[in-house]
Amino acid sequence: MSLLLRIAVYIPVLFLIAVVVTGQHHTTARDTARAAAVRTVRWLIWSVVLVVSMFVLELLFIGW
Amino acid sequence: MATGSGSSSNTHPGLGLGWGPFLLGFVPGLLQYQLGQKRRAAVAFASCFVLFFAGWIIVRERLFYWALMTPDGTGSSFLRVVARFGFPLTLPELLNLPANALGAILCFDGSASGERLWRMPRPFEHLGGFLTGASGMLAAFWSAAGHWELRLRRDGGEAPAAPIANPALCAGLSWLVPGLGHARAGQKGKGLLLGAAVAIVFAMGLLFAHGHAVDRANASVWWMGQNLFGGGSLFAALVTGPMRMESAPPNLDVGVVWCTVAGLMNLVVMVDAFTVAERSVFPLKQRQEAVA
Repeated sequence: MSLLLRIAVYIPVLFLIAVVVTGQHHTTARDTARAAAVRTVRWLIWSVVLVVSMFVLELLFIGW
Repeated sequence: MATGSGSSSNTHPGLGLGWGPFLLGFVPGLLQYQLGQKRRAAVAFASCFVLFFAGWIIVRERLFYWALMTPDGTGSSFLRVVARFGFPLTLPELLNLPANALGAILCFDGSASGERLWRMPRPFEHLGGFLTGASGMLAAFWSAAGHWELRLRRDGGEAPAAPIANPALCAGLSWLVPGLGHARAGQKGKGLLLGAAVAIVFAMGLLFAHGHAVDRANASVWWMGQNLFGGGSLFAALVTGPMRMESAPPNLDVGVVWCTVAGLMNLVVMVDAFTVAERSVFPLKQRQEAVA
Protein backbone atom coordinates (compact mmCIF):
# COMPACT_ATOMS: atom_id res chain seq x y z
CA MET A 1 0.00 0.00 0.00
CA SER A 2 1.37 3.36 -0.92
CA LEU A 3 2.18 5.94 1.70
CA LEU A 4 -0.49 8.19 0.21
CA LEU A 5 -3.22 5.61 0.84
CA ARG A 6 -2.03 5.08 4.42
CA ILE A 7 -2.23 8.81 5.03
CA ALA A 8 -5.69 8.97 3.44
CA VAL A 9 -6.96 6.22 5.74
CA TYR A 10 -5.28 7.78 8.77
CA ILE A 11 -7.78 10.64 8.99
CA PRO A 12 -11.02 8.60 9.17
CA VAL A 13 -9.42 6.16 11.64
CA LEU A 14 -8.35 9.12 13.76
CA PHE A 15 -11.95 10.39 13.71
CA LEU A 16 -13.33 6.98 14.73
CA ILE A 17 -10.90 6.78 17.65
CA ALA A 18 -11.88 10.34 18.62
CA VAL A 19 -15.54 9.27 18.62
CA VAL A 20 -14.82 6.66 21.28
CA VAL A 21 -12.61 8.98 23.33
CA THR A 22 -15.05 11.91 23.33
CA GLY A 23 -18.06 9.61 23.76
CA GLN A 24 -17.20 9.30 27.45
CA HIS A 25 -17.97 12.96 28.01
CA HIS A 26 -21.27 13.22 26.09
CA THR A 27 -24.64 11.53 26.23
CA THR A 28 -25.94 11.98 22.67
CA ALA A 29 -24.57 10.87 19.31
CA ARG A 30 -24.71 14.40 17.89
CA ASP A 31 -22.65 15.93 20.71
CA THR A 32 -20.19 13.06 20.51
CA ALA A 33 -19.72 13.41 16.73
CA ARG A 34 -19.28 17.17 17.00
CA ALA A 35 -16.68 16.88 19.77
CA ALA A 36 -14.93 14.10 17.84
CA ALA A 37 -14.58 16.33 14.76
CA VAL A 38 -12.93 19.05 16.84
CA ARG A 39 -10.67 16.52 18.53
CA THR A 40 -9.68 15.02 15.16
CA VAL A 41 -8.55 18.41 13.87
CA ARG A 42 -6.55 18.96 17.05
CA TRP A 43 -4.90 15.51 16.77
CA LEU A 44 -4.15 16.13 13.09
CA ILE A 45 -2.33 19.34 13.96
CA TRP A 46 -0.31 17.48 16.58
CA SER A 47 0.41 14.72 14.05
CA VAL A 48 1.79 17.29 11.60
CA VAL A 49 3.87 18.88 14.39
CA LEU A 50 5.25 15.45 15.26
CA VAL A 51 6.14 14.59 11.66
CA VAL A 52 7.79 17.98 11.10
CA SER A 53 9.76 17.61 14.37
CA MET A 54 10.97 14.17 13.34
CA PHE A 55 11.93 15.51 9.93
CA VAL A 56 13.90 18.37 11.48
CA LEU A 57 15.67 15.96 13.84
CA GLU A 58 16.52 13.76 10.89
CA LEU A 59 17.97 16.72 9.03
CA LEU A 60 19.98 17.79 12.07
CA PHE A 61 21.45 14.43 13.01
CA ILE A 62 21.48 12.43 9.79
CA GLY A 63 21.56 15.11 7.14
CA TRP A 64 19.76 15.62 3.84
CA MET B 1 -33.94 7.30 34.56
CA ALA B 2 -33.55 6.31 38.16
CA THR B 3 -31.72 8.76 40.32
CA GLY B 4 -29.53 8.06 43.29
CA SER B 5 -31.21 8.32 46.57
CA GLY B 6 -28.61 7.48 48.92
CA SER B 7 -24.96 7.95 49.07
CA SER B 8 -25.75 9.36 52.50
CA SER B 9 -24.56 6.18 54.19
CA ASN B 10 -21.05 6.64 52.90
CA THR B 11 -19.01 9.77 52.80
CA HIS B 12 -16.62 8.54 50.11
CA PRO B 13 -18.62 6.90 47.32
CA GLY B 14 -15.80 7.69 44.91
CA LEU B 15 -13.45 5.28 46.65
CA GLY B 16 -12.74 1.77 45.43
CA LEU B 17 -13.54 -1.39 47.32
CA GLY B 18 -9.95 -2.34 48.14
CA TRP B 19 -7.67 -5.29 47.42
CA GLY B 20 -9.87 -7.96 49.03
CA PRO B 21 -12.79 -7.79 46.58
CA PHE B 22 -10.33 -7.23 43.71
CA LEU B 23 -8.51 -10.48 44.45
CA LEU B 24 -11.73 -12.39 45.18
CA GLY B 25 -12.89 -11.39 41.71
CA PHE B 26 -10.35 -13.79 40.15
CA VAL B 27 -12.45 -16.74 41.36
CA PRO B 28 -15.78 -16.64 39.52
CA GLY B 29 -18.71 -16.63 41.93
CA LEU B 30 -16.71 -15.94 45.09
CA LEU B 31 -17.95 -12.35 45.35
CA GLN B 32 -21.54 -13.54 44.83
CA TYR B 33 -21.02 -16.17 47.54
CA GLN B 34 -19.72 -13.49 49.87
CA LEU B 35 -22.84 -11.46 49.12
CA GLY B 36 -25.02 -14.42 50.09
CA GLN B 37 -26.15 -15.11 46.50
CA LYS B 38 -25.32 -18.82 46.54
CA ARG B 39 -27.27 -19.85 43.46
CA ARG B 40 -25.81 -17.01 41.41
CA ALA B 41 -22.34 -17.93 42.71
CA ALA B 42 -22.80 -21.50 41.49
CA VAL B 43 -24.00 -20.30 38.08
CA ALA B 44 -21.02 -17.92 37.79
CA PHE B 45 -18.49 -20.62 38.66
CA ALA B 46 -20.12 -23.27 36.48
CA SER B 47 -20.54 -21.02 33.44
CA CYS B 48 -16.87 -19.94 33.49
CA PHE B 49 -15.68 -23.49 34.16
CA VAL B 50 -17.76 -25.05 31.36
CA LEU B 51 -16.80 -22.35 28.84
CA PHE B 52 -13.11 -22.76 29.64
CA PHE B 53 -13.08 -26.54 29.32
CA ALA B 54 -15.21 -26.45 26.16
CA GLY B 55 -12.25 -24.67 24.58
CA TRP B 56 -9.53 -26.42 26.58
CA ILE B 57 -10.39 -29.87 25.21
CA ILE B 58 -9.45 -28.46 21.79
CA VAL B 59 -6.35 -26.40 22.58
CA ARG B 60 -4.98 -27.94 25.80
CA GLU B 61 -1.23 -27.17 26.09
CA ARG B 62 -1.36 -24.70 23.18
CA LEU B 63 -2.34 -22.15 25.82
CA PHE B 64 1.27 -22.16 27.10
CA TYR B 65 2.49 -21.16 23.64
CA TRP B 66 -0.05 -18.32 23.50
CA ALA B 67 1.04 -16.85 26.85
CA LEU B 68 2.53 -13.39 27.14
CA MET B 69 5.79 -15.10 28.17
CA THR B 70 6.10 -18.67 26.89
CA PRO B 71 7.46 -20.81 29.75
CA ASP B 72 9.84 -22.84 27.56
CA GLY B 73 13.40 -23.95 28.28
CA THR B 74 14.85 -20.58 27.27
CA GLY B 75 12.91 -18.71 29.97
CA SER B 76 13.46 -18.45 33.71
CA SER B 77 13.05 -21.49 35.95
CA PHE B 78 10.63 -19.51 38.15
CA LEU B 79 8.36 -18.99 35.15
CA ARG B 80 8.35 -22.73 34.48
CA VAL B 81 7.40 -23.50 38.07
CA VAL B 82 4.47 -21.07 38.17
CA ALA B 83 3.38 -22.16 34.67
CA ARG B 84 2.51 -25.57 36.11
CA PHE B 85 -0.22 -23.86 38.11
CA GLY B 86 -1.62 -21.70 35.32
CA PHE B 87 0.36 -18.49 35.77
CA PRO B 88 2.14 -18.10 32.44
CA LEU B 89 0.21 -14.86 31.86
CA THR B 90 -2.22 -16.35 29.41
CA LEU B 91 -4.67 -13.52 28.97
CA PRO B 92 -7.61 -13.29 29.35
CA GLU B 93 -7.76 -16.88 30.70
CA LEU B 94 -5.90 -15.76 33.82
CA LEU B 95 -9.02 -13.86 34.91
CA ASN B 96 -10.71 -17.27 35.30
CA LEU B 97 -8.07 -18.41 37.74
CA PRO B 98 -9.33 -21.81 39.03
CA ALA B 99 -10.20 -23.27 35.63
CA ASN B 100 -6.98 -21.95 34.11
CA ALA B 101 -4.94 -23.42 36.97
CA LEU B 102 -6.65 -26.81 36.69
CA GLY B 103 -6.17 -26.83 32.92
CA ALA B 104 -2.44 -26.09 33.38
CA ILE B 105 -1.99 -28.77 36.07
CA LEU B 106 -3.67 -31.32 33.82
CA CYS B 107 -1.47 -30.76 30.77
CA PHE B 108 1.84 -29.08 31.64
CA ASP B 109 4.78 -31.02 30.27
CA GLY B 110 8.08 -29.14 30.36
CA SER B 111 10.06 -31.79 28.47
CA ALA B 112 11.32 -31.18 24.93
CA SER B 113 8.56 -33.33 23.43
CA GLY B 114 6.01 -31.54 25.60
CA GLU B 115 7.20 -28.17 24.34
CA ARG B 116 6.89 -29.42 20.76
CA LEU B 117 3.23 -30.13 21.49
CA TRP B 118 2.71 -26.47 22.54
CA ARG B 119 3.78 -25.42 19.04
CA MET B 120 1.67 -27.92 17.09
CA PRO B 121 -1.44 -26.43 15.45
CA ARG B 122 -4.74 -28.16 16.29
CA PRO B 123 -7.95 -28.52 14.31
CA PHE B 124 -10.49 -25.86 15.36
CA GLU B 125 -7.87 -24.18 17.57
CA HIS B 126 -9.20 -20.72 16.70
CA LEU B 127 -12.59 -21.63 18.14
CA GLY B 128 -11.00 -23.34 21.14
CA GLY B 129 -8.81 -20.32 21.82
CA PHE B 130 -11.80 -18.03 21.61
CA LEU B 131 -13.80 -20.16 24.08
CA THR B 132 -11.06 -20.28 26.71
CA GLY B 133 -10.53 -16.54 26.26
CA ALA B 134 -14.29 -15.90 26.51
CA SER B 135 -14.31 -17.76 29.85
CA GLY B 136 -11.78 -15.22 31.16
CA MET B 137 -13.89 -12.32 29.93
CA LEU B 138 -17.03 -13.88 31.43
CA ALA B 139 -15.21 -14.23 34.75
CA ALA B 140 -14.32 -10.54 34.56
CA PHE B 141 -17.98 -9.61 33.99
CA TRP B 142 -19.12 -11.78 36.90
CA SER B 143 -16.49 -10.05 39.00
CA ALA B 144 -17.75 -6.65 37.82
CA ALA B 145 -21.29 -7.70 38.79
CA GLY B 146 -20.07 -8.64 42.26
CA HIS B 147 -18.23 -5.36 42.64
CA TRP B 148 -21.34 -3.47 41.59
CA GLU B 149 -23.47 -5.28 44.22
CA LEU B 150 -20.86 -4.57 46.90
CA ARG B 151 -20.72 -0.92 45.88
CA LEU B 152 -24.50 -0.67 45.97
CA ARG B 153 -24.63 -2.13 49.47
CA ARG B 154 -21.83 0.12 50.70
CA ASP B 155 -22.92 3.42 49.15
CA GLY B 156 -26.57 2.95 48.25
CA GLY B 157 -28.07 3.49 51.68
CA GLU B 158 -30.86 1.40 53.16
CA ALA B 159 -33.06 1.44 50.06
CA PRO B 160 -30.75 1.85 47.08
CA ALA B 161 -32.30 2.97 43.80
CA ALA B 162 -32.40 0.38 41.02
CA PRO B 163 -30.00 1.13 38.16
CA ILE B 164 -31.43 1.66 34.70
CA ALA B 165 -29.60 -1.57 33.77
CA ASN B 166 -27.06 -3.81 35.46
CA PRO B 167 -23.67 -2.14 34.75
CA ALA B 168 -21.83 -5.46 34.41
CA LEU B 169 -24.44 -6.69 31.94
CA CYS B 170 -24.01 -3.48 29.92
CA ALA B 171 -20.25 -4.02 29.82
CA GLY B 172 -20.72 -7.65 28.78
CA LEU B 173 -23.16 -6.75 26.02
CA SER B 174 -20.70 -4.16 24.73
CA TRP B 175 -18.00 -6.80 24.63
CA LEU B 176 -20.07 -8.89 22.23
CA VAL B 177 -21.69 -6.04 20.27
CA PRO B 178 -20.05 -2.64 20.81
CA GLY B 179 -22.66 -0.05 21.74
CA LEU B 180 -25.31 -2.56 22.81
CA GLY B 181 -24.54 -1.84 26.46
CA HIS B 182 -25.21 1.87 25.89
CA ALA B 183 -28.49 1.04 24.17
CA ARG B 184 -29.44 -1.11 27.19
CA ALA B 185 -28.56 1.81 29.47
CA GLY B 186 -30.74 4.20 27.49
CA GLN B 187 -28.21 5.90 25.18
CA LYS B 188 -29.20 4.29 21.87
CA GLY B 189 -27.85 6.95 19.51
CA LYS B 190 -24.50 7.17 21.22
CA GLY B 191 -24.30 3.38 21.40
CA LEU B 192 -24.90 3.12 17.67
CA LEU B 193 -22.17 5.67 16.94
CA LEU B 194 -19.61 4.07 19.26
CA GLY B 195 -20.47 0.59 17.97
CA ALA B 196 -20.07 1.70 14.38
CA ALA B 197 -16.70 3.30 15.16
CA VAL B 198 -15.32 0.09 16.70
CA ALA B 199 -16.81 -2.20 14.03
CA ILE B 200 -15.52 -0.07 11.12
CA VAL B 201 -11.94 0.05 12.44
CA PHE B 202 -12.03 -3.72 13.08
CA ALA B 203 -13.50 -4.45 9.63
CA MET B 204 -10.91 -2.21 7.95
CA GLY B 205 -8.17 -4.10 9.75
CA LEU B 206 -9.52 -7.44 8.55
CA LEU B 207 -9.94 -6.17 4.98
CA PHE B 208 -6.45 -4.69 4.72
CA ALA B 209 -4.90 -7.90 6.04
CA HIS B 210 -7.05 -10.11 3.76
CA GLY B 211 -8.69 -11.61 6.84
CA HIS B 212 -5.46 -12.64 8.58
CA ALA B 213 -5.26 -9.81 11.11
CA VAL B 214 -6.90 -11.73 13.95
CA ASP B 215 -5.08 -15.00 14.46
CA ARG B 216 -4.32 -16.24 17.95
CA ALA B 217 -2.16 -19.05 16.62
CA ASN B 218 0.30 -16.70 14.89
CA ALA B 219 -0.07 -13.37 16.68
CA SER B 220 -1.19 -14.29 20.17
CA VAL B 221 -0.02 -11.12 21.93
CA TRP B 222 -1.89 -8.90 19.47
CA TRP B 223 -4.90 -11.18 19.91
CA MET B 224 -5.08 -10.27 23.62
CA GLY B 225 -5.99 -6.73 22.58
CA GLN B 226 -8.17 -7.80 19.66
CA ASN B 227 -10.20 -10.09 21.93
CA LEU B 228 -11.48 -7.04 23.81
CA PHE B 229 -13.97 -6.87 20.94
CA GLY B 230 -15.59 -10.25 21.58
CA GLY B 231 -18.00 -10.22 18.64
CA GLY B 232 -15.17 -9.41 16.25
CA SER B 233 -12.84 -12.06 17.60
CA LEU B 234 -15.67 -14.61 17.49
CA PHE B 235 -16.25 -13.75 13.82
CA ALA B 236 -12.53 -14.10 13.19
CA ALA B 237 -12.39 -17.42 15.05
CA LEU B 238 -15.23 -18.86 12.97
CA VAL B 239 -14.67 -17.29 9.55
CA THR B 240 -11.31 -15.64 8.88
CA GLY B 241 -9.01 -17.41 11.39
CA PRO B 242 -9.19 -20.87 9.77
CA MET B 243 -8.43 -19.42 6.30
CA ARG B 244 -5.12 -20.64 4.93
CA MET B 245 -2.49 -17.93 4.45
CA GLU B 246 -0.51 -18.72 1.30
CA SER B 247 1.73 -15.67 1.65
CA ALA B 248 1.73 -12.71 4.01
CA PRO B 249 -0.50 -9.90 2.66
CA PRO B 250 1.41 -6.65 2.03
CA ASN B 251 -0.64 -4.76 4.63
CA LEU B 252 -0.73 -7.40 7.33
CA ASP B 253 0.99 -5.07 9.80
CA VAL B 254 -1.60 -2.31 9.34
CA GLY B 255 -4.48 -4.77 9.63
CA VAL B 256 -3.14 -6.34 12.85
CA VAL B 257 -2.63 -2.93 14.43
CA TRP B 258 -6.08 -1.67 13.46
CA CYS B 259 -7.86 -4.74 14.79
CA THR B 260 -5.95 -4.35 18.06
CA VAL B 261 -6.82 -0.64 18.17
CA ALA B 262 -10.49 -1.62 17.64
CA GLY B 263 -10.24 -3.98 20.62
CA LEU B 264 -8.73 -1.27 22.80
CA MET B 265 -11.41 1.17 21.62
CA ASN B 266 -14.01 -1.36 22.71
CA LEU B 267 -12.41 -1.54 26.16
CA VAL B 268 -13.19 2.17 26.48
CA VAL B 269 -16.73 1.53 25.21
CA MET B 270 -17.25 -1.28 27.75
CA VAL B 271 -16.04 0.84 30.65
CA ASP B 272 -18.20 3.73 29.50
CA ALA B 273 -21.27 1.47 29.23
CA PHE B 274 -20.64 0.32 32.81
CA THR B 275 -20.27 3.94 33.92
CA VAL B 276 -23.44 5.11 32.15
CA ALA B 277 -25.50 2.49 34.01
CA GLU B 278 -23.62 3.19 37.25
CA ARG B 279 -24.37 6.91 37.04
CA SER B 280 -28.10 6.20 36.97
CA VAL B 281 -27.67 5.42 40.68
CA PHE B 282 -24.56 7.42 41.54
CA PRO B 283 -24.60 10.62 39.48
CA LEU B 284 -21.29 12.18 38.48
CA LYS B 285 -21.78 15.38 40.49
CA GLN B 286 -22.31 13.47 43.71
CA ARG B 287 -19.19 11.39 43.05
CA GLN B 288 -17.01 14.42 42.30
CA GLU B 289 -18.15 16.18 45.44
CA ALA B 290 -17.35 13.14 47.54
CA VAL B 291 -13.86 12.74 46.07
CA ALA B 292 -13.15 16.46 46.54
